Amino acid sequence: MKVSFNFDAIFASGRDNTGRKLEELAGRYDNVWVLTADTGGFLGRFKKDYADRFVDVGIAEQNVMGTAAGLALNGNVCFVTGMIPFMTMRACEQIRTAICYQNLPVRLIGTGGGLTSGGGSTHNAMEDVAIMRSLVNMTVISVADPNMIPNLLEDSMTYPGPMYIRLAQGKKDRVIYEQGTGRYEIGKGMITREGSDVTIFAHGEMVGEAIDAAQELEKENIDVMVVDMYSVKPIDSELVLKCTKKTGKVIVLEDHLMSGGLATAISDVYTDNGVLPEKFKRMGIPQVYAGFGSGAELQRKYGYDAEAVVAVTKELMDK
Amino acid sequence: MENSQEIVQLKELAYDLRIKLLKFCGSYDGPVHIGGDLSMAEILIALWHHAMECDPDNIAWAKRDRFIMSKGHGALAMYMAMASRGFFDYEEIISTYGKLDSKYGMHPCRVQLPALECSAGSLGQGLAMANGIALDAKRKKENYRIFCLMGDGETGEGSVWEAAMLSSSYKLGNVVGIVDRNHQTMTFYTEENYMSMDPYADKWRAFGWNVMEVDGNDMEALVEALDSIPDPQGDVPTMLVCNTIKGKGVSFMEKQLGWHSGCLGTEDMEKALAEVNAAWIAEKEGIAR
Repeated sequence: MKVSFNFDAIFASGRDNTGRKLEELAGRYDNVWVLTADTGGFLGRFKKDYADRFVDVGIAEQNVMGTAAGLALNGNVCFVTGMIPFMTMRACEQIRTAICYQNLPVRLIGTGGGLTSGGGSTHNAMEDVAIMRSLVNMTVISVADPNMIPNLLEDSMTYPGPMYIRLAQGKKDRVIYEQGTGRYEIGKGMITREGSDVTIFAHGEMVGEAIDAAQELEKENIDVMVVDMYSVKPIDSELVLKCTKKTGKVIVLEDHLMSGGLATAISDVYTDNGVLPEKFKRMGIPQVYAGFGSGAELQRKYGYDAEAVVAVTKELMDK
Repeated sequence: MENSQEIVQLKELAYDLRIKLLKFCGSYDGPVHIGGDLSMAEILIALWHHAMECDPDNIAWAKRDRFIMSKGHGALAMYMAMASRGFFDYEEIISTYGKLDSKYGMHPCRVQLPALECSAGSLGQGLAMANGIALDAKRKKENYRIFCLMGDGETGEGSVWEAAMLSSSYKLGNVVGIVDRNHQTMTFYTEENYMSMDPYADKWRAFGWNVMEVDGNDMEALVEALDSIPDPQGDVPTMLVCNTIKGKGVSFMEKQLGWHSGCLGTEDMEKALAEVNAAWIAEKEGIAR
């Protein structure tokens, strides 16, 4: 199915989509539990309708992971929601040892990807993809379009092992794809815009920025391919190599430290396959604690918003 | 109940476990967490041979009591106690322990050894997992208990107290915590240096638990305490604070920081075995009288 995208500014709440889908799953599967450490306003209906499968442990991320692991040991599929930095760092060892080591079906749904939180560096999520993809057995997904969440959560019911699902801010995220035209298949990437000059591999809300940049560049006859690499781990090596071969020039764009995330994952694919792209540029967060401001403002400040992508692409094209 | 036939059998099993641990410690080429193994010998035997409903021939039996070994460095003693209950082959444990591709390592791995309820080794993680199992059991109105054995030093981990709050808040009467309160960590004595644990039992009471204190090296007292745990359908989790002696049974190991883990030379092993044997002979004579 060919993917088409919205050109209008349509937004949806990844959190609400998550809440609704979890309610639906809980209705169909008796072993679905939802846990949180004092977050999840969007779980209101779940809390009411499935009170006996909802656990709020209070502000105790380590505890929420351990409890989820125990439930999963008893045959349940657990969805844990929370803010990314606390989920992935405060409770990192529980995720690693209680969940990944035992290879348990716990799904971590984190909000506030990259610099979208607006809360400053305590609340920003710049390291999460690097940390989560280093964990054995862990699958790492970064959602570009909030409307892709239901299909992802559906598939997660039968996907083995633990999974980390990164949402952008999660409240008002951009809808990228026309309803029903795309599907997230774990382990794959998705070409959202065909092109022949430069490939932009992106994940999360940066896919939208990449598409904006591509539209802009089209005016200057630069033909940009945009690939939604929602599945950071496992990574779709075949697609990475295919697109790289086609365009030669590659940009990796992510709302994450430039080191350790998708750019590193793609570099690994190149290294393992003895491939050297003609040109390769990483765009993302440099080694800084980014400070205050909206996600859009910070992306501009640190040089990885759509405008910066346009400039870098032109550079790669020597224009 | 004092020295009923069952108690005598349990005492003998604990004696036998100590002998096996010491023999292994004297023959294995590597460190053994012998101090904490010896302090919880009675606890493990009382659990596996008296308190817990389990079936070695059906490890997936849904109604079994669950045992969460949170003090993962006590794995060897757990393997041996479970072997004495019929779960594992003792010879396989001692011949493969710690070796390449063995199922029996220094810290337990459930993936490799499915008879275990969980993997462990990183302290302070067991109680939260016990709570997770307990929540599921409570929802399904199952009647089994979830026993979680921790070291007292381990409860320095904040995650233990996060979990302790959950057990009482969620009214998990099916959770039974057991602390091997041997008053030592790897490097210090808890009430003498650095971090004090006292008032220990009161801490658990303050977290909403039904707390019993017992001499954890006294089999009669342990069994009596385990027999008096409230019904698992109740609303209050139970904590058994078992006061024990690290290195129990061997004079040169008892309360010695150096014996958190270590190897025994042949001469010391013989000395240790002789002490444990002598104590058991004296105990048996006392029982016969």
